[in-house]
Amino acid sequence: MSFIKQYIEQQTINRRNLLLLSAYGLGGMAAAASFRPGFARAAGQDPKIAWSYRDRTNPYWNSIVSGGEGFVESLGLPKSALLNLINGGSSEKSLSDIKALLSRYGSGVALAADPNDMPNCRPVVEAVVGAGAYVSTIWNKTDDLHPWDFGDHYVSHMTWSDVGPSEQTARILFDAMGGKGGVVHLGGIASNNPAIERLAGLKNALKSYPNVELLAVQAADWDTQKANQVMSGFLTRYGDAIKGVHCASDTMAYGVIEALRAEGIENMPVVSYDGNPQAVDLVAQGKILATVFTNPYWGGGITAALAYYAATGFFKPSAEPKEHREFYGPTVLITTKDARDFKAKYIDSNPKYDWKDFWGLSKGQIQYRS
Amino acid sequence: MKHGLVMDNIRKWVPFLVLLVLVLFFAAVNPHFLSLRNFARIAVSSSPALMVAVGATFVILMGSIDLSMEGTVAVCAVVFAMLLNRLGGSLAHMGWLAIPGAMIAGGVLGAVNGLIHVRLRIPSFMASLSMGFVGVGLSLLMTGGNRILIGDPLFRSLLTVRIMSFPLMAYAALGGLLVAWFIQGRTTIGRNFYAIGGGEDLARASGLNVGRVRVIGFVLAGVFFALGAVLAVARLGIAETETGTGFMFLSITSVVVGGTALAGGSGGVWNTLVGVLIVNVIGNGMVVVGLPDYLQDGVLGLLVITAVYLSMDRRGLSFAR
Repeated sequence: MSFIKQYIEQQTINRRNLLLLSAYGLGGMAAAASFRPGFARAAGQDPKIAWSYRDRTNPYWNSIVSGGEGFVESLGLPKSALLNLINGGSSEKSLSDIKALLSRYGSGVALAADPNDMPNCRPVVEAVVGAGAYVSTIWNKTDDLHPWDFGDHYVSHMTWSDVGPSEQTARILFDAMGGKGGVVHLGGIASNNPAIERLAGLKNALKSYPNVELLAVQAADWDTQKANQVMSGFLTRYGDAIKGVHCASDTMAYGVIEALRAEGIENMPVVSYDGNPQAVDLVAQGKILATVFTNPYWGGGITAALAYYAATGFFKPSAEPKEHREFYGPTVLITTKDARDFKAKYIDSNPKYDWKDFWGLSKGQIQYRS
Repeated sequence: MKHGLVMDNIRKWVPFLVLLVLVLFFAAVNPHFLSLRNFARIAVSSSPALMVAVGATFVILMGSIDLSMEGTVAVCAVVFAMLLNRLGGSLAHMGWLAIPGAMIAGGVLGAVNGLIHVRLRIPSFMASLSMGFVGVGLSLLMTGGNRILIGDPLFRSLLTVRIMSFPLMAYAALGGLLVAWFIQGRTTIGRNFYAIGGGEDLARASGLNVGRVRVIGFVLAGVFFALGAVLAVARLGIAETETGTGFMFLSITSVVVGGTALAGGSGGVWNTLVGVLIVNVIGNGMVVVGLPDYLQDGVLGLLVITAVYLSMDRRGLSFAR
């Protein structure tokens, strides 16, 4: 039986060797890792630029990404140099794509991202900061998360405050209704922050128009077809009592206008939001009385630019004041009077932006309601 | 046995009774619901959905399933709009060719779908779902994410011109339904769908080329999806990738609520008409009676379950498949 004993002995020794070798290997890797900051600085010279967003089917996101491409081209690179991380509305995919990007390029990444929903922002930021890369976010962020708590690597966050502009469109609508009559509101997905703010704006305006009655509020999920169906339901329910329509987005306004057209109603006052090219045309024709432009092209470009120039060391985020780390994006009210000028300036061509003028169009530091 | 036959006859009419009860219920809560103008509104929202659901009916009759409608509708809508604008922008001249053009596009997508399912032996569920994604991507590629507007007054007359209070598109959809009825009942291929759905092994043993019939079924479905796409564009005057959004749930639900068995072999296009009307009456009715919107999705789900429970013959099923 001695050969068995010998065999077992050999195996034991081998196992011990294996463990020792593994420990040695791990130790070596840890030692190598401690020298990595030098490597990170070297990679920062030419960072990969990436945009993480939902998808391009929606005109709004299409403009955001076009802006990102515009920025990349300003560096003398082709459009294809912008890496597109498309999450399709999934926070999990958003995070795993970003982690994959980071494991491929390490600290050499300048990322612009909409984290898809608010809770997802923290893991995204922590992954990027952990890798030593740079990230700028838009739209979705919890109130307790701040770029200045992460030094230089969480560069900035931009969002848009819709309450004020939405109140302005509501006032234009009520004036067109002669200050009296019933109004219906078609909202976005009920839990979305812009949907909540745009309805809040309408309600603020209602306070100064006692003769205007808010007949109904109904979510149509930013969707043209659903808005079409909801509007025809409203027509059945309220009929001629509806004197005006307040829409939380252009996409829904298209559905509303078609529902009205089907009934032969041509002059119903309608206002919307987002300033999509097609909506601006409708404003110029007087079919929509007002919409609000949030300049997604600039937003998409400047968010990528902030992350990029922080990564290259062009500016040091931690040396900037707080209003440069968390700020509101631009909002421009478009009415029938200025629609044509606006179209010539912003839609027929994209104005040439200075992508190093990071805060030129910002509307001030983000305020939190406690 | 006699009792069973009576039950079968009643069950056949259950979807229709469900529709009737829903109409009466909504009318009782808000009498405005029961007006001709509201029925016309329901007809407008039902017309595109009816064509898509009829297409899906053929495939479901065979015991397969087609989930590619969102992609196919998007591609067909975009192809239609691009052709129409390229050919002068009006149906009056060469533009009418855009309609057969879209139908060809739908047929080709359906053929690819069917061939992947039959030749590569991939379950139709997976093959068609994947083809749906391909379609969405393709339409996005063609439009670059933009919307294509259709202003042609002649084409838009499908929505704006009314005969006896109903818009032309409702009659167009009815015409499509009659064609589908003819295919289902009066053609060999239509009968073969039932044969395969009722018992594929038996059909095969009788010498039927099952693979070929299946591919034809998918092609037919694609052509009807294209008709749905044209009506969807007529409804909104916009062709875009999102034109297809929502049709998967809408059409599959309609087919099942109408009483066509997912296992195949029983049901038909008239069931689908009733199913489409049920789903659209619920959608319209919930707004008309003023149900709070946070309840609407939940109520829609419960109503669909109830309708399916009442209309499906589950005696033959040892467990739900």
